[in-house]
Amino acid sequence: MNTIKELYAYRQMIFSLVRKDLRGRYKGSVLGFLWTFINPLLQLIVYTVVFSFILRTDIDRYYLYLFVGLIPWIFFSSSITVGAASVVAQKDLIKKIYFPRMVIPISYVTSCFVNMLLCFIVIFGVVIISGTGLSFTALLTLPVIMIVEYILALGMAMLTSAVTVYFRDLEHILGIISMAWMYMTPIMYDKSIVPESLMPVFNLNPMTPVIECYRSVLYYKQIPDLTTLVWAAGLGVFFLFFGGIVFNKLQRHFAEEL
Amino acid sequence: MEQNESVIIVNDITKSFKVYLDKGSQLKERLLFRKRSRYEERKVLKGVSFTVKKGEAVGLIGRNGCGKSTTLKLLTRIMYPDSGSITMNGRVSSLIELGAGFHPDMSGRENIYTNAAIFGLTKKEIDARLDDIVEFSELHDFIDNPVRTYSSGMYMRLAFSVAINVDADILLIDEILAVGDANFQAKCFAKLKEIKAQGTTIVIVSHSLGQIEQICDRSIWIYDGLIRADGAPKEVDLEYLDFMSREMQNGKTAAKAEDPPPEPEKAEAPPSETENADVKKRWGNGMARITKITSYSADGKEQTVFRTGESIRFRLDYTVKEKVSDAVLGIGIFDMNGIQCYGTNTRIDRLAEFELTEDGSAEIVLEEVMLLPGEYQLDFAIETGDGIPVDYCRQAYRMEMISNTGDVGLSRIKHKWSV
Repeated sequence: MNTIKELYAYRQMIFSLVRKDLRGRYKGSVLGFLWTFINPLLQLIVYTVVFSFILRTDIDRYYLYLFVGLIPWIFFSSSITVGAASVVAQKDLIKKIYFPRMVIPISYVTSCFVNMLLCFIVIFGVVIISGTGLSFTALLTLPVIMIVEYILALGMAMLTSAVTVYFRDLEHILGIISMAWMYMTPIMYDKSIVPESLMPVFNLNPMTPVIECYRSVLYYKQIPDLTTLVWAAGLGVFFLFFGGIVFNKLQRHFAEEL
Repeated sequence: MEQNESVIIVNDITKSFKVYLDKGSQLKERLLFRKRSRYEERKVLKGVSFTVKKGEAVGLIGRNGCGKSTTLKLLTRIMYPDSGSITMNGRVSSLIELGAGFHPDMSGRENIYTNAAIFGLTKKEIDARLDDIVEFSELHDFIDNPVRTYSSGMYMRLAFSVAINVDADILLIDEILAVGDANFQAKCFAKLKEIKAQGTTIVIVSHSLGQIEQICDRSIWIYDGLIRADGAPKEVDLEYLDFMSREMQNGKTAAKAEDPPPEPEKAEAPPSETENADVKKRWGNGMARITKITSYSADGKEQTVFRTGESIRFRLDYTVKEKVSDAVLGIGIFDMNGIQCYGTNTRIDRLAEFELTEDGSAEIVLEEVMLLPGEYQLDFAIETGDGIPVDYCRQAYRMEMISNTGDVGLSRIKHKWSV
């Protein structure tokens, strides 16, 4: 409770770190902030070419099917992989001055989240241009799904960023973990093709319900299945608490370890 | 908050650091070279407790490595104690690492926002303080330039201005006032006093006892991870300085003992022990000898560190081999450059020559010694009426003067301004 109160007092710091991160991300590049939009668009073109002409699938409008899952996934995976290094990256600050250390993973995940929101402009554009259209009622659940994913990503980022301080290899190990995780999540394929024996893994994977909810809203234009959404939210809250507790325990010796 | 409420409660804290002999934080290193992760545990704090009341200003003193900076870091919560607890009531600001989070490419104004946000200020609060911060830093004309174009003095000025304008309830300071030019330092000092007057609690770590004495109501002397003395700065600082000067002298004896030829140890050991040791520093016909020199403060405490303006009483013990019928006693005070600051003897002072017949002692009281801070060496001598040295001890005694005023020169001169 105290932690939350303190974090609220430091909201300006979170805000300013997010802004600094977003502004710094494309600093020095010619197109600058436009890359936030160009990057997902180019990715979309690649996937369309590959899956419409080379690796043909029988899923209708596969590029969109893939795209609405991939953007949220990129947010999640960069939160845990790059986010893992966020505390180490701020070691100068940590060694010099006190502030609630949780500010760092929070602001990193938030800046990734803002980035995802901007990518959603591209998603909406594609959804409309492709003629799929949007269902207004389904769209109302989208913020809830996003918040659930944010909570989940934050919990994971707190976990990885704190452990990385003591065990720097984690940063590299996470690269492969995140790749495996992506293939164990129904992003590029439908959950229906997963063999029965692997189903428990998919059901325990917190990202499975999240991606399914996104897809349901943006691809099928339907309100997501309530049990899926609740299950996703439950997992998200669990990871947030777990990550928070671990982070709080480990942060006591940050200044000495860094 | 009540006036007498404790805002800082430090309860029996300990802290050790692992000094790694060769640290590996990679998996490979951890697994393959497990031996390399060996470390030595160094206990820096061994159970320190104190409380600070609201509005109090406390100075932590002690020599390098005694744990005073660690204590301050624990207070800022950058680190946590291994055992014991620290309670801090109120917003804490620290002048420990100035300019944390400054970004060289951002303007001074933007950096004020970032830096102040790190202290936990909201945008609204920063907006309200912005003018004060800029005003105090004297950087009006440069505030929208990137910080990388600033000189280091300007950089520190900006950083200090932010930190001091946070309106903290507790202000922690480590070796301050090395900021900017003399003018700005004076301004910082004035600001600190103002902040203190407003009821902010201040904890300072400094080597400059003068600074501590000007601001603090209390000094805590930390020695070897424990509190050795806690009280009014005037008393604790003196005790500390006295201890340090003794340590220094002991250190010197130890070092010199190895160098041939051995030099006489003047201050502590009686000169008689060093007979014939150094011709240049001691001469005379030997009819009588000074055996011991001691100095006392006005209240009779034996010490070697005095405050400018204090009275000092010297006591000379001597032995007499042969009767000296017309003895004269003399004293000379020299600064470390060998410049004589003062000298007198019983003849100059028109005292009658006296007889030295048996072992005894003599005393001289120097009233209101106005010598400015620094170390001084003293000569003491016994002569005969016609100036033949009986026992002349050069650099026989060492004393130190301290003061909390910043006046300069050799000696203070009483003065009065009318402006």
